[in-house]
Amino acid sequence: MLKVQIKKLHKSFGPDEVLRGMDLDVQEGEVICLIGPSGSGKSTFLRCINSLEQPTSGTVVVDGDTITGKHANLDKIRENIGMVFQQFNLFPHLTVLKNITIAPIQCKKHSKAVAEAKARELLERVGLSQKWNVRPGSLSGGQQQRVAIARALAMDPKLMLFDEPTSALDPEMVGDVLNVMRELAQEGMTMIIVTHEMGFAREVADRVVFIDEGVIVEQGPPSEIFTNPQNRRTIAFLDKVL
Amino acid sequence: MNFFELLQESWPMFLRGLLMTLELAVVSLVIAMFVGLGSCLMNISRFRVLHWISQGYINIFRGTPLLVQAFFFYFGVPKAFGFTLNVFVAGVIALSLNAGAYLSEIFRSGIEAIPHGQMEAARSLGMPRRTAMLKIILPQAIRIVIPSVANQWIISLKDTSIISCIGLAELTMMGSQIVARTYMSFEVWICVGAFYFIIIYALSKLSKFLEKRLSLVKSADKEAS
Repeated sequence: MLKVQIKKLHKSFGPDEVLRGMDLDVQEGEVICLIGPSGSGKSTFLRCINSLEQPTSGTVVVDGDTITGKHANLDKIRENIGMVFQQFNLFPHLTVLKNITIAPIQCKKHSKAVAEAKARELLERVGLSQKWNVRPGSLSGGQQQRVAIARALAMDPKLMLFDEPTSALDPEMVGDVLNVMRELAQEGMTMIIVTHEMGFAREVADRVVFIDEGVIVEQGPPSEIFTNPQNRRTIAFLDKVL
Repeated sequence: MNFFELLQESWPMFLRGLLMTLELAVVSLVIAMFVGLGSCLMNISRFRVLHWISQGYINIFRGTPLLVQAFFFYFGVPKAFGFTLNVFVAGVIALSLNAGAYLSEIFRSGIEAIPHGQMEAARSLGMPRRTAMLKIILPQAIRIVIPSVANQWIISLKDTSIISCIGLAELTMMGSQIVARTYMSFEVWICVGAFYFIIIYALSKLSKFLEKRLSLVKSADKEAS
């Protein structure tokens, strides 16, 4: 089943055209890794999928809802799209548990008890069940990012977006976060991941999409992209990072 | 008459003035907080009309002296529309609109100090803008602005003395009256100054307490240990 359908996506910031016509279809349960040089537009592309950036033109359909539609109910659609940021963006004034329960309670009108039970379950899953009552400020980067993943999962999203989730982490923290993401992928979550972790992309992705200068240059299964890239820009990029 | 006789003789007047000053300050500042928050939310609104209204208000009330504003609301407005205004009400209007303009800018700076990622994270979870503002942005902004808000309270508390110029019998006015009767201006103004100082010192202690109490770093440590 088609989960995400992106057609002719353009995005300009003033005179700079950052995305220059991108198309991407994502099947249910598929794990897509977006790779490419910095400034290539991959983060902007990801942020257009849940309309944190409003595309200049083009359509984005997620799970049957056209998020680029004129009268789209953005808040409702976003409930289905979890997002994990490079800088975690946990809410520093709330405890870990409340970080996770606030959206289900506020948006889905879940009762406190239901939301908290679910939050504890998710914390267990990301290996942080002991930390439910501390504030994000006393957690390490890797722990914060795992809480951020739990916070996104609490809304039962149909699609997860990851925007360089390990780029702000100390090297020894990266593994824990990637493990959580790997498990999520194995459970069948549809995921779109902007990443510089080529090893992770090779192992977990069903499809790797190489983006440069606002267009999709090349895409395919990791085995092909990493071992036998066709486009010279892909070759040049992989040469530098592998 | 020595200093103690002065106090003994005049304490009811001092007390009445002090109570009036406190009343004026508390009522005005409570209203000013609402006015300031409302103006701030209008100022950062996506609707440009609201933004311009708020900006006009801030510019006018920051750009003119409080004394002129007090005269305007006590003498000017009632004269133009043919009614009379209670001096306390006129004082409250002038003082709360004046402080509200400054508080509006203080609140805005607090909201803008919150990293943009906070709003993005809230919106990405499906929270409407209003909910995100109320539950995520404002609670953090309040902690940031406590020292500046307390500072504005202190300034406004001292500005209540300006309202004596339209004839409100607050502490400064009472001081003048006692001086007129006793000619002991040195002792009287020391007393008046001391009264202001005590209130303001208490207020700044309260602000420090709130700041500590609501600090994120501190409470995180407490819960972790």
